[in-house]
Amino acid sequence: MRASSEASITLAGDLHARPAGSLAIAAAKFESSIELAAAGRSADAKSVLSVMGIGATSGQVVTVRAIGPDAAQAVAAITGILADATKVGS
Amino acid sequence: MSEAGRVGIVLVSHSAALAAGTAELAGQVGAGEVIVMPAGGTDDGRLGTSIAKIRHALAAADSGAGVVVLPDLGSSVLTVRALLADGEGMPEPLAVADAPFVEGAVAATIAAAVGGDVKAVASAAEEARHARKL
Repeated sequence: MRASSEASITLAGDLHARPAGSLAIAAAKFESSIELAAAGRSADAKSVLSVMGIGATSGQVVTVRAIGPDAAQAVAAITGILADATKVGS
Repeated sequence: MSEAGRVGIVLVSHSAALAAGTAELAGQVGAGEVIVMPAGGTDDGRLGTSIAKIRHALAAADSGAGVVVLPDLGSSVLTVRALLADGEGMPEPLAVADAPFVEGAVAATIAAAVGGDVKAVASAAEEARHARKL
């Protein structure tokens, strides 16, 4: 089954190198393709350099879109990481 | 967490500080799931490369799934190639990635963290040359 899912989150902090790594590692576990979009730029969530390259900062809205059989789980996992990893003080 | 079975990464630089700093960064981005070993500078701490340091790093990075080596520039590449040509006691499989040093190290570490084999890890490093940072 080919499903798509999408959710948006407002970052509480900047998307630094370390959370970008955690995000890419988590994204690789899903079969679905997963895209991040922020401020008109988009990134393949499975590519750490691509995720770092969008330079998402505190207060920006990041949209996570997934297409594939585990799209809903992928979007839930990735938005969860974005919320945790960009918490101020993390 | 011990991650036997992950591909290890060896970073060969003329500079001990550059190799160590890049290994620290890549290791942290990779959430500590991958062994990233620096091999920088000469045996007496000058700028250059050391066969002994590279040999030690290769052995330390190998946990059974093989190792990907990233050299920085010029004679690092030559030293790595000379060592591999010798072939004695090298991890198996082993690949040398033709990649930008910092971006390649980070991309390779993530590819190894998600269970990629030597070929996938070397490809991830090499694809880093196309990643835009601006």
